Amino acid sequence: MSEYTVSAPASLTLDRTGYLELYYFMVLNRKLEERLGILYRQNKVVGGLYSSLGQEACSVGSAYALERGDFLAPMIRNLGAMLVRGVKPVDVMAQYCARAIGPTGGKDLNLHFGWIDRGIISPISMLAALVPVMAGIALEMKMKGKQNMAITYVGDGATSTTDFHEGMNFAAVQKVPLVVVVENNLWAYSTHVSRQANVVDLVVRAEGYGCYGEIVDGNNVLAVLDATRRARARCVAGGGPVMIEAKTFRRKGHAEHDDAGYVPQEQRAEWEKKDPIDAYRRLLLARGLVTGEPEITEIDAKITAILEDAANVALAAPFPDPSTLMENVYG
Amino acid sequence: MVERQAVPVRKSRFAHVPDDGAKLKMLHFMKLVREIEDRIERKLYRQGRIVGGVYVGRGQEAISVGTAIHMEKDDVVAPSHRDMGVFLMRGITPRRIIAQYMGRRAGLTRGRDGNMHMGDMDYNVIAFVSHLGDNVPVAAGAALAFTQRGEKRVALCYNGEGATSRGDWHEGLNLASVHKLPVVYFINNNAYAYSTPMELQMAIPDVAIRASSYGIPGEIVDGNDIVAVYDAAKRAIDRARSGLGPSLVEFKTFRMTGHSAHDDAGYVPPALFEEWQRKDPILRFEKALVDEGVLTPARIEEMQKECAAMIDDAVDWAEQQPFPAPEEVTRDVYYEGK
Repeated sequence: MSEYTVSAPASLTLDRTGYLELYYFMVLNRKLEERLGILYRQNKVVGGLYSSLGQEACSVGSAYALERGDFLAPMIRNLGAMLVRGVKPVDVMAQYCARAIGPTGGKDLNLHFGWIDRGIISPISMLAALVPVMAGIALEMKMKGKQNMAITYVGDGATSTTDFHEGMNFAAVQKVPLVVVVENNLWAYSTHVSRQANVVDLVVRAEGYGCYGEIVDGNNVLAVLDATRRARARCVAGGGPVMIEAKTFRRKGHAEHDDAGYVPQEQRAEWEKKDPIDAYRRLLLARGLVTGEPEITEIDAKITAILEDAANVALAAPFPDPSTLMENVYG
Repeated sequence: MVERQAVPVRKSRFAHVPDDGAKLKMLHFMKLVREIEDRIERKLYRQGRIVGGVYVGRGQEAISVGTAIHMEKDDVVAPSHRDMGVFLMRGITPRRIIAQYMGRRAGLTRGRDGNMHMGDMDYNVIAFVSHLGDNVPVAAGAALAFTQRGEKRVALCYNGEGATSRGDWHEGLNLASVHKLPVVYFINNNAYAYSTPMELQMAIPDVAIRASSYGIPGEIVDGNDIVAVYDAAKRAIDRARSGLGPSLVEFKTFRMTGHSAHDDAGYVPPALFEEWQRKDPILRFEKALVDEGVLTPARIEEMQKECAAMIDDAVDWAEQQPFPAPEEVTRDVYYEGK
């Protein structure tokens, strides 16, 4: 089998800084999760840990298409999207370790936090519950004539749920500027997509709602960025919601506590060869967007240092004071 | 890339044509449905002899009759409130139905519930749930049981187009399609979900398009042409019974009344009523049968009188039946065995 490669779609316009930022955020996404994995095993993380290993291009590429004023609602595997939108590694570590300086002040865990000022709506555990929420935000944008969009993410499994169906239908009828990225990573916890839906491509469901849909290689960050930009242009112009099916693979278990023994070894091995970051690194070198391996090593080292500092700050921070227990229960 | 590409929707091929016996049976039941519903909605309700609301399927009679005629004894059906023909064709008597509407103990719910909120598992009719679309996963569950037991039974399920926007509908169809269950989903697309027209309900022109979301056949049928209904239903039911999985059949029709007897449907343009009146499924079928020489106008008149007499009898009988006694109020709350 020939080596997996990624390339830039013809319609994509991106300068060198953009190319490097995409790389930066994908590596930051991966290394932050790796660092969290270590903290998890050291019992520093409170609660579960959810990895997006192998899916970094979906998060980073899609979020990079956003403009000021757009709203994004991630799911548990969209750490990369949150980083692109300005969330700092120290925020994430403090949140995972339940420290008082974290975004929820140690009250909630993992990625269950939002940042309204930066247009980030907090993830909801029940996947697809955010589709009608974001359809509502998009309706507000449409009614107020804003040139903005709302974007949210679901997995393959979520497309079987009530919220997905009702939210998509509503968005399509009202022609609101909503982009839904379906990250088809083949597994909904332990349910394979073939036991989840009687269709090969989930994007065919776009037709059932009368909205535009498109399939994209979810491991090609440039393809994801390009598709999301075009989706944004379409829906902001009044073309109604867009469904993007990003074909990808969940390389770890559902969470750190799941060994994913139900996933065939060959499938895992096949997708390891399609690593989105390795392929992107090869593209940067081949196209001369970096001067050479040393420049890449330098970026990687810088990220490692940022994460080391972040871990130190987070772990030095106190847990929430018991006296604050009743705070932030209501808005 | 997918943008409004080919959809597996096809026109009826008229593969199955009813014989004269089936045609007469279907006409009889369509007329009986019209008669019992007209009596309930236009007379008994207005005379204050009905307890609660009234929901009829005037103009949609061909759908329930033309589909239910294919049911085998052990098949299960989950009708909607516009499918009176299903109840009558399953053998539930007009007497019990009128008693149900009058809140009598002899009604299907023994006077506990009103109007079409009725079922009878002795006839494999699952009671209608008010919330449209709720019966979709229920029918899928029945079909799953047939599959697991290795039975050659099918489940039929009816809803309106509005119900297809609901989560239950989606989850039920998804489950049925993944497990290739022996169930057929019929949609009475009567253009209005209460007061919501089709274009405010979904951004697609045909509900059948949604079949592609589940990888199952979707078909559009003239719901006011009972011969077309008969044919499409037969194919979908045969398909389910042979283990090939569910189908979605969309019947284009029109609700010739308000949502209920208390709704004047002022939001429906009068021209639509006039247009669809010309497509009345009963008048159309009668004309076809006379043209074919299967029936004479005189015989049609007789059939009308026979139906009216059955309903006269049902009303007289039902009105003689007692209301449930107050001391029975705690009965039938939980299942107490047969």
